[in-house]
Amino acid sequence: MKTPRIRLTTMAVLLSSMLAAPQLAADETCNSPYLSTLIKGQEDYVHVWTLGVKGLGDESDKLVTVDVNPQSADYGKVVHVLSVGGRGEAHHGGFTDDRRYLWAGRLDDNKIFVFDIGSNPAAPTLVQTIADFADRTGFVGPHTFYALPGRMLVQGLSNTQDHGGRTGIAVYNNKGEFVARYDMPTGEHDGVAADGYGYDIGINPQKNALLTSSFTGWNNYMMDFGKLVQDAEAMKRFGSTMVMWDLKAMKPQKVMNVPGSPLEIRWSLKAGDNWALTATALTSQLVLVKQDAAGEWQAKAVAAVGDPAQIPLPVDISITADAKGLWVNTFMDGKTRYFDISNPEAPVQTYEKVIGKQVNMVSQSWDGKRVYFTSSLLANWDKRGADDEQFLKLYHWDGKALTEQFALDFHALGLGRAHHMKFSAKPAPGTARDPGREVAIAQR
Amino acid sequence: MNRAGRWARTAVLVAAGLLPGAASLGAGSPELAPRAPVQDFVPPAPGSYALPPIQRVPQGTVLDIDGRRQPLSRYTTGRVTLLSFMYTYCTDPIGCPLAYETMMTLRDRLLARPEHARRVQLVSLSFDPAHDVPEEMRRYAGRLADPASPLRWHFLTMRSVAELKPLLDELGQDVSVEVDAQGRPTRVLNHMLKLFLIDARGRVREIYSSAFLLPDVMLNDIETLLLEPAAP
Repeated sequence: MKTPRIRLTTMAVLLSSMLAAPQLAADETCNSPYLSTLIKGQEDYVHVWTLGVKGLGDESDKLVTVDVNPQSADYGKVVHVLSVGGRGEAHHGGFTDDRRYLWAGRLDDNKIFVFDIGSNPAAPTLVQTIADFADRTGFVGPHTFYALPGRMLVQGLSNTQDHGGRTGIAVYNNKGEFVARYDMPTGEHDGVAADGYGYDIGINPQKNALLTSSFTGWNNYMMDFGKLVQDAEAMKRFGSTMVMWDLKAMKPQKVMNVPGSPLEIRWSLKAGDNWALTATALTSQLVLVKQDAAGEWQAKAVAAVGDPAQIPLPVDISITADAKGLWVNTFMDGKTRYFDISNPEAPVQTYEKVIGKQVNMVSQSWDGKRVYFTSSLLANWDKRGADDEQFLKLYHWDGKALTEQFALDFHALGLGRAHHMKFSAKPAPGTARDPGREVAIAQR
Repeated sequence: MNRAGRWARTAVLVAAGLLPGAASLGAGSPELAPRAPVQDFVPPAPGSYALPPIQRVPQGTVLDIDGRRQPLSRYTTGRVTLLSFMYTYCTDPIGCPLAYETMMTLRDRLLARPEHARRVQLVSLSFDPAHDVPEEMRRYAGRLADPASPLRWHFLTMRSVAELKPLLDELGQDVSVEVDAQGRPTRVLNHMLKLFLIDARGRVREIYSSAFLLPDVMLNDIETLLLEPAAP
């Protein structure tokens, strides 16, 4: 079909701005299932949301970008640092559904920073700061960022009234405009006392299931850790519930009693599976949330992590893409542990390794061969003195052992406390925006 | 069979594993390959839940199948609207054809209830104004664009990408041109599949990506909006 030249020319000029690589076809294993582009191949960059430290470097919270492609001359090096100003307890982040933007939050001053990752993943830019989270929602501590089509779920940790653990979920559209808020349930629910606490979000689309967990409020997570553990009353104020929501209706369906502060939620990614795992921080248990024969959601402890009596403090977990393995970090002993979860009803630990004096986050590539670790839990909970190691480390996993590939000392580099990691991939060679392609497009 | 019908049939065949290519769509484990969404739950009843407004549909000017310039709002207000961006030669079985198949299912079910059908409209708006000119859209639409149908289905395009791109950006609908190994543009437009449910006041109330293309749920969402009191 012959198309008028003028129309083709106009189209060519504008389509040139749309040129991009074919969409990559996979992802690390813990993102929202609604992300459009997933990295199953080699990730190019790891972005580390990093807490500023007084007296270190520029002292500011920052997004640190590390080149992790072994084919790159900059492999294992920091290639970009974007400071956002101030220290507000930088914590977690999450991509929008189109994976172009990374939302990253601060638990103290409630600011949410929106970084453009898609335009040039080697050099993210700050495009928006959302500062109305507490005012618009009454919640404090924007923790988990979980993409839905065209919008972002933001799980709070606390509230503006008493800075305790009662909180809720906020919804923003991708332009950063407030859409809705939902309180975490409180009161009695079929004999279970709902505490109203929140922490993580995980969605199973085919079940219309949104699962939440529970941590603690601002009063606790901003308290000095040594002081906190000596405060018996404060230690009572940790979450002890998980809630299954009707995602479509955004209504709580069942409150489950899960003592010990259940944290990260990882759904099995296998089609047809109907279970998720979490780890409890204070009681050191892996907890399975699964439908029973009647379709009722049930939560039960299925394995201990280390010696619960020693309170190793399980923190981040990472499930393999085939849902057969689970990495579990324990902050206090600095270990990561690998569990065989082929039978999620009975996980078995098969490996462990000390990563550092302290370890918090773990992220793995889709194929499970590369496992990244960072060190910081919370500014006031990290260890002190020589034990306050701050790092990003990459290990290779061959199914039997972890082998260190590189370690970046975030103190020595003047960066800060390394916390949440997110992966990105650059467009394939020759697919960046190039006005010279206009003619080619016009001729396609 | 018109073009739309052919694509729909292709989608069905691929989904059923009858055509090559389905398995290769997913990298790695076949069980994790892209697939049509599965609904393994009973959706909440219409009117038992709320769909908060997400954003307004931006302004724009479109071309109908007769080539007439019309404000986009003509097709996104007054009725509950399901809007899909597409291009007529899209062959990705989990792209436009999946959206088309879903819209066909909804059309059939809405037409079974004419009192609902008269308050709903479907809109297909092309990503590619250069190829999908009004005459091409008319050919693609076939009988689906019948103005006498209680359920109107509008097949629209725009004059240029210059007019289209702000609309896409505002709605967060990404699209990119796939390039070949030599970096030359191909005829494939990569886009995240999104359908926009819009209320009669022109506000986006739900966005469906692939995992949410569940006709039972979408129909309940449409009915939920139909149950809302009319705007003053």
